[in-house]
Amino acid sequence: MTEGALEGIRVVELGQAVSAPYCGKLFADYGADVVKVEPPEGDVARRWGPFPNDEPHPEKSGLYFYLNTNKRGVTLEIATPEGREAFLGLVRNADMLIENQRPARMRELGLDYDTLSKDNPNLVMVSITPFGQTGPYADWNGYDLNAYHLSGCGHRYCGRPGEAPLEQGTFAADFYGATAAAAWGMAALFGREVAGGGQQLDVSTAEVIAAVFIGAQNIGGYAQDGVFERRTGIGMPLGAPATILPCRDGHVWMLALEPGQWNGLARVMGDPDWTQLEMFQDMFVRAQNSEAMYPLIEQWTAEHGKQEIMDLCQGAGCPVTAIYTVAEAAEHPHLVERGYFVELEHPELGKVRDLGAPFQLPESPGGPVRPAPTLGQHNDEVLG
Amino acid sequence: MAKALPLEGVRVANFGWVWAGPMTGQTLAFLGAEVYKVESRARIDINRILPPFAEGERDPDRSLQNHAGWAGNGSVTLNLKRPEARDLARDLVAKCDVVVENFGPGAMAALDLSYERLREVKPDIVMLSMPAAGLDGPLKDVRTYGMSLTSLTGLDSLTGYRGGGPVPVENAFSDPLNGIMGAFAVLVALQYRKRTGKGQHIDFSQQEGVMQMVGPAFMDYVMNGRVATTMGNAHPLGVGAPHGVFPCAGDDRWIAIAVMTDDEWRGLVAAMGEPEWASGMDDAASRLANLDALHERIAAWTAGFDDYELAKRLQGHGVAATPVLNVADLLNDPHYTARGTFIEVTHPLGFKETIYGAYVKTSRTEAAVRPGPMIGQDNERVFKGLLGLDDERFQRLVQAEVIF
Repeated sequence: MTEGALEGIRVVELGQAVSAPYCGKLFADYGADVVKVEPPEGDVARRWGPFPNDEPHPEKSGLYFYLNTNKRGVTLEIATPEGREAFLGLVRNADMLIENQRPARMRELGLDYDTLSKDNPNLVMVSITPFGQTGPYADWNGYDLNAYHLSGCGHRYCGRPGEAPLEQGTFAADFYGATAAAAWGMAALFGREVAGGGQQLDVSTAEVIAAVFIGAQNIGGYAQDGVFERRTGIGMPLGAPATILPCRDGHVWMLALEPGQWNGLARVMGDPDWTQLEMFQDMFVRAQNSEAMYPLIEQWTAEHGKQEIMDLCQGAGCPVTAIYTVAEAAEHPHLVERGYFVELEHPELGKVRDLGAPFQLPESPGGPVRPAPTLGQHNDEVLG
Repeated sequence: MAKALPLEGVRVANFGWVWAGPMTGQTLAFLGAEVYKVESRARIDINRILPPFAEGERDPDRSLQNHAGWAGNGSVTLNLKRPEARDLARDLVAKCDVVVENFGPGAMAALDLSYERLREVKPDIVMLSMPAAGLDGPLKDVRTYGMSLTSLTGLDSLTGYRGGGPVPVENAFSDPLNGIMGAFAVLVALQYRKRTGKGQHIDFSQQEGVMQMVGPAFMDYVMNGRVATTMGNAHPLGVGAPHGVFPCAGDDRWIAIAVMTDDEWRGLVAAMGEPEWASGMDDAASRLANLDALHERIAAWTAGFDDYELAKRLQGHGVAATPVLNVADLLNDPHYTARGTFIEVTHPLGFKETIYGAYVKTSRTEAAVRPGPMIGQDNERVFKGLLGLDDERFQRLVQAEVIF
């Protein structure tokens, strides 16, 4: 096997649940040696599941399995003097520490960056928390849901007017923040000689989404004009069709904005007369008349399956896509052919299919090769 | 602080367009890389003509959202329909470490800028391609918008009110996410190059990038055959309750509350004044078994409170509670203000604009945040300075609409 791109890089992860573990996984899956430090009772993800047959078991959590591939695992009680010493020993020899403890807890434990970098000035410390290390909410209690909604994402872009703003149905803020942490952490690591040493990166998962997604397209306009927009529940309110519509076996993302796309959609629907009406002649006018138009398109989608609709529309130059269920995505021939899925052998779970690497590096392939560690699996070899 | 940024000395030719590719360039630039977006007046990037505009003046150099999303990237103009422009593009790549693009598969080859061609001029080039569904496979030519790309991953099927159909996320959630992942991919490949001397062509399917977020639901499918569906604001693995967004006093005001431990539950009960109905719900299992009823009770209680005040009060009881912010709140919120999340800068055209700054805080080096680029602002520096064109040839190419 070709060696991973990050061969030789040593990472210590003091991570719980999703954010820091996913960041650590990105390093581990591309070849870094990531030692995950868990408390004796294990990462909380071991208790969150999903479990086979819904039977809780600390070695059988799907979430833990997914987020901790390729890592080595040790258990340490870092609040005790011996545990703290052992942890300091690991960090002293590491290139990077990835953690998502509450800032106050790291201070209480005497594990702040100044202390940790004293004997290891090249250490890159990546701290990922909902609100960050500074600011009035730094010591607030928070989870993914809190960070996500503090970013403005739900209020602006997801949900129906008058109803609650929505999150995506997964750990959106944790994944966003962890990805930003990986990019900035990798840059700090790559450029240590240039920058003259290591540093601490302070990642607030809420801030990342607030800045790069919500802020990017909204904050300049609000600062200048004093007006702002909010979710509509539609998709794109100013152009149409641009919404999710039901079809025979689920839903499709119905998009036909440019003239060529609209003509393609009209063609595959059999060029019904209504598509020629003045009130549907460009995307803006169609949006103004969308309440009349969407039921007409729905008459057609209701009689066809999502894949059929997608294939017909794509063939006609119209960017309509099927809303795949998790099962459909998990079995998709395109992803299978590209090798996106891998199979790992786990001592308690047996053979388990997993998602592969997020990007392919032909010279130095990445992706999960070893399953997540069992609790304390590498205590002897790492801690001696 | 004034130390060298970690990516100083890394040069990037960014053929990326709209949002994801420029986001990769921005992240690398914030960290010190020298990034040139290659674009053209012959076909102005759609991201430059999205409103609102500075001082209301419609102009491709005045789109406020464009400046926030592209800040950090420089800009050179090349009309790549012209062979001379393609030659200059390859000359630029020869002086770069990294090439970024997010066109469909084959588009770069059609411009005579395929990885194989670029390797000829720069053997250890790192090239990042980030098309919607990757460089090969049956879906490689799929047409999507950033807003709808997530439909191909299963993610959209999870987004919506419990028991209802999918509700769209009304913008390209995946674009900045994949742009940042693209920066990570580039850096991983640069690290490999540092050790081995070898460049490579990264195949980054945006579908596969976003689908990483579906991992938890994917595992439930793999292990139990269960197909997750819309879950509102409930915990993705159904282990915390209450876990939701509840109404507060005022127009469209809400609070997000997540209870993951029994201690937090006791804190919430105390804050609510120990209501009768809460007794007997001390264990998570009974709360989860009555999730909808529980959420109704909490909503009835939160509805009279100011969201900020209630969040502070609940935090005082150790409960993870935050106001649900709208766009205006982002600019006025004391936390984001203290962290300098949004900053006012002066654009080279003279107007002031508000963009976001370093979206990750760094202790040693200060991120290099500059206003969004004007089209072609770096033409002289690049074509004359870096590539050594004399003034006469430069002017001729400008007039001939090659540098355009």
